[in-house]
Amino acid sequence: MRLAFEEKGADYLLATRDEHGNVAPVLLKKGDEPGTLRVDVPYQMAMILTKVNKFVKEGKIAVVARRCDERAIAELVKRDLLDQSRLNLIGLACSAEQVKECRCTDPCPSVVDFGECAEPSGDDASVARLLDMSLSDRLGFWIAQFRKCNKCFGCTLNCPVCFCDECLLEDKTFTPEKGIPPGLAFHLIRAIHLADKCVECGECERSCPVDIPLLSLRKMVSQDMKELFDYVSGDSERRSPLLTTLEGDPMEDDANVC
Amino acid sequence: MSVDHILTTCPYCGTGCNFFLQVANRRVVGVVPCKTDETSKGSLCIKGYNAHAFVNHPDRLTHPMVKKGGQLTETTWDEAIGKIVSELKRVASAYGTDSIMVLASAKCTNEENYLFQKLARMAIGTNNVDHCARLCHASTVAGLLQSFGSGAMTNTIPEFENADCVLVTGSNTLEAHPLIGARVLKAKEKGAKVVVVDPRDTPLSRVATMSLRQQSGTDVAWINGMINVIISEGLHDKEFVDSRTSGFDELREVVRGYPPEKVEEIAGIPKDDLVKAARIYASAEKAMIAYAMGITQHSNGTNLVRALANLAMITGNVGRESTGVNPLRGQCNVQGACDAGALPNLYPGYQSVEDDETHAKFEKAWGGKLPGKKGMTLTCAFNQALTGDVKAMLIFGENPMMSDPDTGHVEAAISKLEFLAVVDIFPTETAKLADVVLPAACYAEKDGTFTATDRAIRAVRKAADPPGDARPDWKIACDLGKKLGSEGFEFESPEQIMVEMAAVAPIYGGVDYARIEREMVRWPCPTKDHPGTKVLHTESFKIGKGVFAPVEHTPPAEETSEDFPFILTTGRNLFHFHTGTMTRRSVKLQREAPNPYVEVNPVDARALGISDDASVRVSSRRGSITLSARVTPWIRPGTIFIPFHYVEAAANRLTNNALDPIAQIPEFKVCAASVEKA
Repeated sequence: MRLAFEEKGADYLLATRDEHGNVAPVLLKKGDEPGTLRVDVPYQMAMILTKVNKFVKEGKIAVVARRCDERAIAELVKRDLLDQSRLNLIGLACSAEQVKECRCTDPCPSVVDFGECAEPSGDDASVARLLDMSLSDRLGFWIAQFRKCNKCFGCTLNCPVCFCDECLLEDKTFTPEKGIPPGLAFHLIRAIHLADKCVECGECERSCPVDIPLLSLRKMVSQDMKELFDYVSGDSERRSPLLTTLEGDPMEDDANVC
Repeated sequence: MSVDHILTTCPYCGTGCNFFLQVANRRVVGVVPCKTDETSKGSLCIKGYNAHAFVNHPDRLTHPMVKKGGQLTETTWDEAIGKIVSELKRVASAYGTDSIMVLASAKCTNEENYLFQKLARMAIGTNNVDHCARLCHASTVAGLLQSFGSGAMTNTIPEFENADCVLVTGSNTLEAHPLIGARVLKAKEKGAKVVVVDPRDTPLSRVATMSLRQQSGTDVAWINGMINVIISEGLHDKEFVDSRTSGFDELREVVRGYPPEKVEEIAGIPKDDLVKAARIYASAEKAMIAYAMGITQHSNGTNLVRALANLAMITGNVGRESTGVNPLRGQCNVQGACDAGALPNLYPGYQSVEDDETHAKFEKAWGGKLPGKKGMTLTCAFNQALTGDVKAMLIFGENPMMSDPDTGHVEAAISKLEFLAVVDIFPTETAKLADVVLPAACYAEKDGTFTATDRAIRAVRKAADPPGDARPDWKIACDLGKKLGSEGFEFESPEQIMVEMAAVAPIYGGVDYARIEREMVRWPCPTKDHPGTKVLHTESFKIGKGVFAPVEHTPPAEETSEDFPFILTTGRNLFHFHTGTMTRRSVKLQREAPNPYVEVNPVDARALGISDDASVRVSSRRGSITLSARVTPWIRPGTIFIPFHYVEAAANRLTNNALDPIAQIPEFKVCAASVEKA
């Protein structure tokens, strides 16, 4: 990996390595002793990159990126939150086991420097089960899940595309201070708010201490985005349909009737 | 420019989650969870995610201060340390060394607590050393020592996930130990039955299989009631009782007096619910009990702990995975501070100071004369300060003006001291009253170890330099020891201190930094090649057979009256920690729960004419505070709840200093109070 880093002409390498018997994120400078680099523990590198980028304002950063990191970075670049010209991605293909765990349909990075691309996951049994439920049963399911929420805000803090400086949802307007759990508004507004950015990396679900199946919720919203707007996030060119509602063809006449 | 990720241990509750402190240019800027940590598995609670927030707060103490003309004035380390040394020497020669009290700290590392107790015993010459475990789990240490021979959590945190039943009592687990609470929820999703017994509805009780609400202060009654049901229905583990315990007949005799009908009368738990809960617990293959302050903070706290031990033993739920009696320790290193001997009756590793052989061993190891008589407890020390028997206190990282019961009493006691020195990271309410204040490094600014509630020894790593002239407590303790003229304080690093602690405390015998660097070690770990211990008491109890304690229900020290018709109970909320010193200086945590409040049941609120958010005055026989009412069905009628984090309406102005006779823990959980519109 050190080789890849140097080949790509970067000043920094953002990767993960062995530290204190654990696997830790690490930002290496050119010439630093790399230690034992690891690629098997899926830290959300795009999220860590965003944090690092606040402080490292100059020089090129090489990032070990899975396909979902790559897509998240594209969303951030598109919004001018990251500078593509300062980034070099070192492509890491997820293992078949990781692909299965994330029910990932898009596991292969555009350039593969490490690993071998596994087959994308087929049907998502969890989403299928939910779609089979009646609307009221489905609502019941989510209410039961959200009742477990203990307001750690790990889903927003670890999300690579939750980039607002201050999360308005964390404010007491949506998560009243008296409330644990925080109420449906928090989860549902968040679900919609991220509709045109979410790359289905699953970090929200992995970070959730109480196992709320947030990735299933994300996949269902993404499916809607695809069906309603033919939109898939994770591409630096494609514009979000949610930004274009007032452009294009004039609205139908009956849109004026209230 | 550098951005580093330093793996360390959370400074809040005793779960012991590890995370990375994100450090940009030597400044702590954020927290990233650690995915490979066995305890946290890449998750944290809201306090953990905000554990960096107070580190760079402008209120941090940065210079030593000495009181001059009634004002704390900045000075040099030499002058401040010199002042402490000369005052301690003066007090010791005028009134004897036992007129000095040292308070160690559950927020400091094992190494530091080891030095604090050594400082008291060796350099000052008194066993008067204690810390806030006296206020939280003193009754656990005493009770489980008597029942099992070891005063710590019998099992480990990951085991909760595989239990078939978890009985949670007196623990608001999802708020006070969020990641342990999360494990209980995981167990439930796997099919475990979760039974919560608590006077309040908690986030956990609201999703539990069964939630029983007892009246505060009636716990022996319902626990004995469950044992009564279990024995009378033949659900007890006869083989375990026969082979591994003693005192069964006496226990059976006592619990005969607690049939479900009588328990309903005393505790207010419907008899059918009690029977059902008893059956759930007794018929599970692997059942864990988790408890916290709701059990321990009573004037019969030790008996309550022993009653829970009875319940576990009667069903054979000790000594196997996913069983046991599991006290959830509430501070990052309250377990370790006890282990390190910051207790007036015990040397490091729970060795009695009054045992001649042990006493001789420590005199030899430390190379000096040690006091032979056990010292006084923290709660006792404030009483003795009031009577003039304690003249000086040296307090490391504790804030008794907020944390101890009956603040008026503490205030009066402190005002009678001839000398008070406080070492802390912020100007606490206690520091403001001190003659000398020393600025300390916080957890992010030093190396060391914390011991989590499940006996796991976890590394604390330095991520940044302390602000200004602040120094780590271990260096301060070394300086004081040397200047007091004692030998044995020449440590260059926390690692060296652990080497000495491991040599004198057999339960830590095999612990060293190289091991902690690569593995999770849980004590007892007597030798370097010992793997550490997950489950205690597997083959036999440390004292041979487990001892049943026939304990009877006794009413709380203070009962309600016409003037004080409510039972006041106190505790934590999710967002704040203890006296609020750190969390109330963390923007996001403070935003979540900015103001003090009292929970009142809607039935009581209606009778009092109080609406939600109304300003109310809550009074007890000891004081009054004004705060806003939170009208909620989550508290049972007749009981009110106040979190104790808020200095502007400090719950401990009201609480009762009634002590458990064995553990001397105060009854924070029950006092009589009144509520009126303010």
